[in-house]
Amino acid sequence: MALVRKLLNGTYILRKCPKPRVASFPFLGTRFADYCSSSFQKPVAAPGKASSQRKTKGNLEEHHQREVALEITSPEDKPEISFDKAIKEEMKDHFRRLKDDIVKYWIGPEGRPLHEVLMEQAKVVWQFRSKEDLDKWTVTSDKVIGGRSEVFLKMGKNNQSALLYGTLSSEAPQDGESGRSGYCAMVSKIPRGPFEMKRSYDWSQFNTLYLRVRGDGRPWMVNIREDTDIIQKKDQMYSYFMFTRGGPYWQEVKIPFSKFFFSNQGRIRDAQYQLLLDKISSIGFTLADKVDGPFFLEIDFIGVFTDPAHTEEFAYENSPELNPRLFK
Amino acid sequence: MSWAQAILLARGASRGWGGICSTALTGAPFSQVPPQAPRGLRCSAAAHNPDSSLVPHPPEPPRRPVKALAVHEELFRPALDGARNKANFVRAVQNFTEYNVHKRGHVDFIYLALRKMREYGVERDLSVYNLLLDIFPKEVFRPRNIFHSIFLHYPRQQECGIAVLEQMENHGVMPNKETEFLLLQIFGRKSYPMLKLVRMKLWFTRFKNINPFPVPRDLPQDPVDLASLALRHMEPDLSARVTTYQMPLLKDSPNAMDPTETHIVGIQSPEQQSALACHDPARPIFVEGPFSLWLRDKCVYYHILRADLLPPEEREVEEIPEEWNLYYPMQLDLAYGRSSWDDYEFNIDEVEEGPVFAICVAGAHDQATLAKWIQGLQETNPALARIPVVFRLSGSSGELLPSSSELEEPPPPPPEGQEEEEDSQQRQQQGQS
Repeated sequence: MALVRKLLNGTYILRKCPKPRVASFPFLGTRFADYCSSSFQKPVAAPGKASSQRKTKGNLEEHHQREVALEITSPEDKPEISFDKAIKEEMKDHFRRLKDDIVKYWIGPEGRPLHEVLMEQAKVVWQFRSKEDLDKWTVTSDKVIGGRSEVFLKMGKNNQSALLYGTLSSEAPQDGESGRSGYCAMVSKIPRGPFEMKRSYDWSQFNTLYLRVRGDGRPWMVNIREDTDIIQKKDQMYSYFMFTRGGPYWQEVKIPFSKFFFSNQGRIRDAQYQLLLDKISSIGFTLADKVDGPFFLEIDFIGVFTDPAHTEEFAYENSPELNPRLFK
Repeated sequence: MSWAQAILLARGASRGWGGICSTALTGAPFSQVPPQAPRGLRCSAAAHNPDSSLVPHPPEPPRRPVKALAVHEELFRPALDGARNKANFVRAVQNFTEYNVHKRGHVDFIYLALRKMREYGVERDLSVYNLLLDIFPKEVFRPRNIFHSIFLHYPRQQECGIAVLEQMENHGVMPNKETEFLLLQIFGRKSYPMLKLVRMKLWFTRFKNINPFPVPRDLPQDPVDLASLALRHMEPDLSARVTTYQMPLLKDSPNAMDPTETHIVGIQSPEQQSALACHDPARPIFVEGPFSLWLRDKCVYYHILRADLLPPEEREVEEIPEEWNLYYPMQLDLAYGRSSWDDYEFNIDEVEEGPVFAICVAGAHDQATLAKWIQGLQETNPALARIPVVFRLSGSSGELLPSSSELEEPPPPPPEGQEEEEDSQQRQQQGQS
């Protein structure tokens, strides 16, 4: 099976996922596998969106310069670019965050008292009310492998929502390797603590994902990735489809976590298990419905809540035909 | 193909090849050189006269850049009637099987046929896929002993079978019992194509009906029907009425040089009608658009008629008088001490936007067509006559405009320019607020 997969991966890179009502598997090639982990990412810089990597010296200087510009200082007052100063600022910033972290730990998880966290039934995880909220997301498209799709992310109307828009083009790149192409993705960055430690979200008391979106009728795919510290879990993710209605009305999409199916290296696997919610690292939206043309998706906020009417634990049972080992 | 096979082809089946070539090459330009060795042998055997060295050649026609043809591509040349449809495709496939009893090169032929399916328009046809699978010789590739089953038996053919199934899966074609039986005959039960078929059957059935807003597979071609389907798709209120304000002019009329008559179809629900009737005439309402709506692979552009949000001080809270319902109270102001375990609300203010009064789909996106829509709306909403209507039309970029400053119709700018405009407007807003 490994041999076949190696043979197949050579030719069948980047197929994708369905039009509505048609089931298909996400086939992403090995080259695309790293799109979620921030270390190998090549984010598509959007016009008007702040740059994604905050922790470089140059950007710190840009921040300083932007703040200087807003204060309307005199033109002779140039900001000093000093490497040592920037490093010191950054160290101080990290230590401050470490101190906050320790202090917050004494109050409760994430700085909120324990009784509030335990009894919470609905939580807003990502909202889009300012440009800093956009910095938590990265957009990718198949330009990374040589395709022609473009995708941009910007704040929407009145700074009340985020607008992800662009053009999808399923023209395959002529690199002799990819048969198909055409995807765009928006992925959240992995939450970081002090000293850039990887943190994860703990949604174990919730059971449904809630999105308030306004789309254009295209089917999207929601991917959730768990904690990726273990190298074998690098390409694993749990996905489900989000169908937008289109139209001028806001749409509430509620996807229970029991509906997410497991896939590894872009292929849906025979052995399925439910999504465990205690170490979620990122969520992403992908559009790859093989239809060329412009698209947009407006997102108001993303939250998780407990749906008391939903008692299902996992929607897909393992089938004895596909997985006879599990049934011995 | 090995050279021995090539020579056998050249010698044994030359009459057959000649038959195919003569029927299929009727429209082909003369300068295309067949790239294959056996056909080169055959051609050279036929055309090599001892006189050719003495008689001067006529000047050769200028050679166009020749794209290297695939192995059996001449079978897919357009037939005499030139139509690319299922019948011709099936005929091409059957030609391959007739003239090639031993089915040499069937793997390459199947890959070629898979590539050509889209041109012939048969990529969603299950019977054509079954026909392609039928090309494989049966019973040859089945593993017969344990050594066959340990090592991937006939790997190229299995890959080819998987490629056929993969194209079926890409186009959303569900395999049926005939496919299963064919795969069983060709590859056996424990092969990879069979495994892929089992997976397809499982996951397709699981995901067949998960779309809460299903769109029919065969979309109507008529623009008015498509428009009404789109409007019904967008409007959740089932009591809304679709009205056709204008039908498109037939294209074959002699004075079609000035096509001002495109279709205008609108939808409005009774609630929207009553809301429009109570709308304050001092506040303008806006026609915004065009926004894009995708139905499978067709894009429909729509416009909406909406008003801005009332500022909080002018909003009226509708009070239901107590006598409205004598059986039970409509409003309860009980202060039960409920704590956060019962609170299912999100701790965020949702985006609030002004009410939408009507949606329409029109063939043209200019102000004249939309003005006709407004006039048509005035018949059912007489209050609309007194309310000022402002047209806020953008270029067809599909983005929703900011609800801020401009009140006159902006000229359609290119998308980049529009983004910068909006960014600068937002910065101004932020600066002012």
